[in-house]
Amino acid sequence: MVGGFDFTNFFFMAVIAATPLLFATLGEILTEKSGSLNLGVEGMMFMGAAAGIAASYFYETAAGSGASGIVSALLAVLIGFLAGAFGGFIYSLLTVTLRANQNVTGLALTIFGIGAGNLIGELLGIRAGGFTTVSDSTKSVFSGISIPFLSDIPVIGRLFFSYNFMVYLAVATAVLLIVLLNKTRVGLNLRGVGENPATADAVGINVTKYKYIAASVGGGICGLGGVYISMATVGGNAGTWIDNCIAGRGWIAVALVIFAAWRPSRAIIGALLFGGLSALWLYFDPWLQTFLPNASIPQQIYNVLPFIATILVLIFTSIRQSKELSQPKACGTNYFREER
Amino acid sequence: MKKVLAILLASMLILTFVAACDSGGSDEVTAANIKIGVVHIGPLADQGYTYNHHIGALKMISNLGLSEEQYVPKFAVGTEAADVTAAINELIQEGCQIIFATSFSMQFQMIEAAMENPDVVFCHATGANAHGSGLDNYHNYFAKIHEARYLGGIAAGLATETNKLGYVAAHPFAEVISGYTAFFLGALSVNPDVTMDVIYINSWGDPPLEQQVATRLIELGADVIAQHSDSATPAIAAEEGGVFHVGYNNDMRSTAPNASLLSPRIDWSIYMTFAVKSVLEGTQIPVDWGEGLQSGAAFITDLNDAIVAPGTREAIETARTEIISGSRQIFSGHLVDNAGNNAVITNFDGDTIFEFTGPDSVFHESTETSAPAFNAIISGVNVIS
Repeated sequence: MVGGFDFTNFFFMAVIAATPLLFATLGEILTEKSGSLNLGVEGMMFMGAAAGIAASYFYETAAGSGASGIVSALLAVLIGFLAGAFGGFIYSLLTVTLRANQNVTGLALTIFGIGAGNLIGELLGIRAGGFTTVSDSTKSVFSGISIPFLSDIPVIGRLFFSYNFMVYLAVATAVLLIVLLNKTRVGLNLRGVGENPATADAVGINVTKYKYIAASVGGGICGLGGVYISMATVGGNAGTWIDNCIAGRGWIAVALVIFAAWRPSRAIIGALLFGGLSALWLYFDPWLQTFLPNASIPQQIYNVLPFIATILVLIFTSIRQSKELSQPKACGTNYFREER
Repeated sequence: MKKVLAILLASMLILTFVAACDSGGSDEVTAANIKIGVVHIGPLADQGYTYNHHIGALKMISNLGLSEEQYVPKFAVGTEAADVTAAINELIQEGCQIIFATSFSMQFQMIEAAMENPDVVFCHATGANAHGSGLDNYHNYFAKIHEARYLGGIAAGLATETNKLGYVAAHPFAEVISGYTAFFLGALSVNPDVTMDVIYINSWGDPPLEQQVATRLIELGADVIAQHSDSATPAIAAEEGGVFHVGYNNDMRSTAPNASLLSPRIDWSIYMTFAVKSVLEGTQIPVDWGEGLQSGAAFITDLNDAIVAPGTREAIETARTEIISGSRQIFSGHLVDNAGNNAVITNFDGDTIFEFTGPDSVFHESTETSAPAFNAIISGVNVIS
């Protein structure tokens, strides 16, 4: 550690920061694969975050002293998912059925979600007499796991077997999406809808159904990103509603989708990279100071790094013009069967 | 139909205008009609700075026998200029005769509002621009929190085993530097081997970031974490990391029972009571107000007796007595920077206003203005980022 770069702790911090980004990115990838550009990620994350903590709080209030931490945590995850899915459903209703403009609908969803999330969070706070927090037993479910032997291995244990369960859930979701999109009939149909809905319609795929389900499930996964922030966050011990807690992570996820070239496998790497960049300043400066005393790079420089990376990826992918690694063709435009 | 509607709307406008003029008339401010507005930077949920200021306001209400409806708080306003101005304007429209703002970052919006609304009294915590503004209705207030932080430093200096303290700091400027230097000098007074790492979060409060930075400071070897940031998450990080913690704004023992030694804290009710009483009695409020341990405006919460080092209580009580009597000065002696040069204090323009030239040098903090001025980085303090 001393004299070298503190990699183990840095990696741990990067994974912790990457997880909400990974959820949101995966959700948006699924949505965009169906040809819907939903810019409401930030809003859906807020809805998920507030609904998750509300579910946990109300369950604990209702169950009293007999409340189980595991049930409370699972409820938070489930209700958070449903709240995000509800956001995705509103989006589908407006863009698929009512044919509203996708960009505007997404932005409206963001504004709505931020307001609704903060309102619910604050109302809960007032109800709870100052601020909302969940019980210690629920918090402990969201803190890092400890597997006998595995978690105790030096370095490896810290690097792979010490996170909270939602980190593993995020990775599992990514793997599930990889299989779904690339190995299954449903995935093929979904990609077809996103690339060319008219053709998909012609071969008998129910475009409307695919779009509704993809946007809703995608929204739900974004909502899980919100639950992660309100229930787990940095040290795995949050469970307190904090105003504006999502703080722009939804927008970083929208950038990450481009960075990941609409592939869940790349989303894992991208989220880890972005998460790492957000924690880098705490590790790079001390390392720099081991041979350059008093050297320090302004935190603001570190903060723009993820966005510079996105711009670079945008430039390079547009130069390469790869069909494989670009946005689904029909993304952003609504499908009118009558206009074929 | 359209005409009728137009006339109706026009007369309604006129009526509201007349009504507004009426309520804006220069009625006497009395205990029955006074309304007190407070622009809070954060939400109550921070369990730190905003929570503490809110507690102060409620205590002021009960001290003066007012009803809670006369206190109009605006929570989670943040520091964006437009949001702050909007909050201040809403409070004026709701008829507040005195408005408090809690964050340094609101100073420009406050002075602007004070110029535009000479009938309303404005009191700005931690700010530094009332001094010399020439406005009768604009005041700054703060507590000599550095005195309480010094006492916190004594507990930290006695508790540390690695002789390394870690400090989660908000912004790199005088209010924060004065606070952590006082904390460090307190630790140094009982433990000459101690050093301190400082990391700025460049925000007054960002709960996940505060927790991340505290965790990082522990990784870097600190075994006592102190903070000048608005939330209780550094205490959580200390509890999880198995180290000690010195809080701010709130008793954090319930958050971190095995980590929290004590918390320096401000009792805002003392000033708020004084200011509101002055408005009711029609007396002038001083431009700058700052009191410390003596009046209890700055104080420390109860010691966590189960975990503090033996002798902590006695050392703190001795220091408290000496600070109050004036026989111990916090920013005194031949303070030097990390390069060994005399420590110098500069103003906002970068001009030197004080230099520690020798063992007899004494800088009297927060006497001229209520906002702290000490901004030298002294030897032993290692600013990491």
